[in-house]
Amino acid sequence: MKITIINGSPKARGSASELIIKAFQSKLGPNAECTVCHAALWAGPKVVETATMSDAIVLVFPLYVDSIPSHLLRLLDTQGGALSAAAPGAKVYAVVNNGFYEGRQNAVALEILRNFCARYGLTWGQGLGVGAGGVITAVPMDSWPLRPLDKALDDFADAVAKGAIGEDVFITSNLPRFVYQLSAHSEWRKLAKKHGLTTKQLYQRPAK
Amino acid sequence: MGEGAQTKSTLVLHDLPALQAADLLPGDSASFAVFSALPAVHYCMGCFGCWLRTPGTCVLKDRGSEFAGLFSRHENFYVVSRLVFGGLSPDVKAVLDRSIGILLPFFRTTHKEMHHGLRYDKRPDFHYLFYGDATEQEVATARKLVRANMINFEPENYSVDFYGSPQEAVGALP
Ligand SMILES: Cc1cc2nc3c(=O)[nH]c(=O)nc-3n(C[C@H](O)[C@H](O)[C@H](O)COP(=O)(O)O)c2cc1C
Repeated sequence: MKITIINGSPKARGSASELIIKAFQSKLGPNAECTVCHAALWAGPKVVETATMSDAIVLVFPLYVDSIPSHLLRLLDTQGGALSAAAPGAKVYAVVNNGFYEGRQNAVALEILRNFCARYGLTWGQGLGVGAGGVITAVPMDSWPLRPLDKALDDFADAVAKGAIGEDVFITSNLPRFVYQLSAHSEWRKLAKKHGLTTKQLYQRPAK
Repeated sequence: MGEGAQTKSTLVLHDLPALQAADLLPGDSASFAVFSALPAVHYCMGCFGCWLRTPGTCVLKDRGSEFAGLFSRHENFYVVSRLVFGGLSPDVKAVLDRSIGILLPFFRTTHKEMHHGLRYDKRPDFHYLFYGDATEQEVATARKLVRANMINFEPENYSVDFYGSPQEAVGALP
């Protein structure tokens, strides 16, 4: 079966989306023929060409302002018709990860994708919303904090391989939310220091 | 709108083509600022520079970095956007993605969820004016999107309305 994966993180490398894609691919059986397109680095028509006659299109991206990052949204907006003509039988799946703790905050972005499918006559498969995205780049996928993601990706890969249609699934990290919050805050402070800023300067108001 | 509506300063972000905008929108004045989402600004690269390098301002070097600074200077913020799959248009979205510096990196809890702190105490009221053909489902999605956005940006008041055409949407501006 032919699977086209679209990485919708604007980061060229090192994104949580990239790690999710790697884990997802490792869970697919040997019959899966996968290509990963990078929405920010590839021209729209090349993504469409790559997706021709796909059985599944899997979008993996970060939540931006409760929705889809603008460059990925532009790809869907400008290439939706072409994509649906090139892969009319494809089912569309998505994994959205977000910075806040609750995976459920990805629900609106998944709904927007369902509306995209409805507009262009594509079949929606299933969505997975992953909270506490900061954990994904911090610890190995097979470690305890990410066990819910690892397990959800098992089921998700299974669904994609079968062409199954399912309800959206929302998960978060095994880390308690206060631990996630504390480590994120200490990470911000560390990065600020690296850039020569004090914690206080992070609160500055350039607009007044 | 109540008394004094005239004196409230207004910020408009829109995605109308230049000719149409020139035709339909008043020019910039002290109390009325217009920011066009066209030509499209560069998309956010996800670097968090607006939090950790130049707090409050995007580090990319195009006019998309100017928008966040306009925010706290106005009392009413109008988003005029083509409705796309029940959300904002890619052009308007690009400007908003570039403007998350109006929030702080640090988390807070509100509505029993994790969200970011707010950089500015003074924040405009939000008004979403969506235009274009829309299915019932898309309208329902847009309402959910706005509700979620409003938890993140926490203005005192907000509204969301739908119009058939950009002309009608712009006609609703003060
Ligand atoms: C412009 C921008 C907007 C964001 N908006 C949200 C948001 O609305 N809710 C949220 O939980 N996280 C938000 N985030 C955080 C990202 O979703 C989070 O950092 C994610 O893990 C990044 O994934 P990636 O590494 O695959 O790009 C935003 C990040 C950026 C840069």
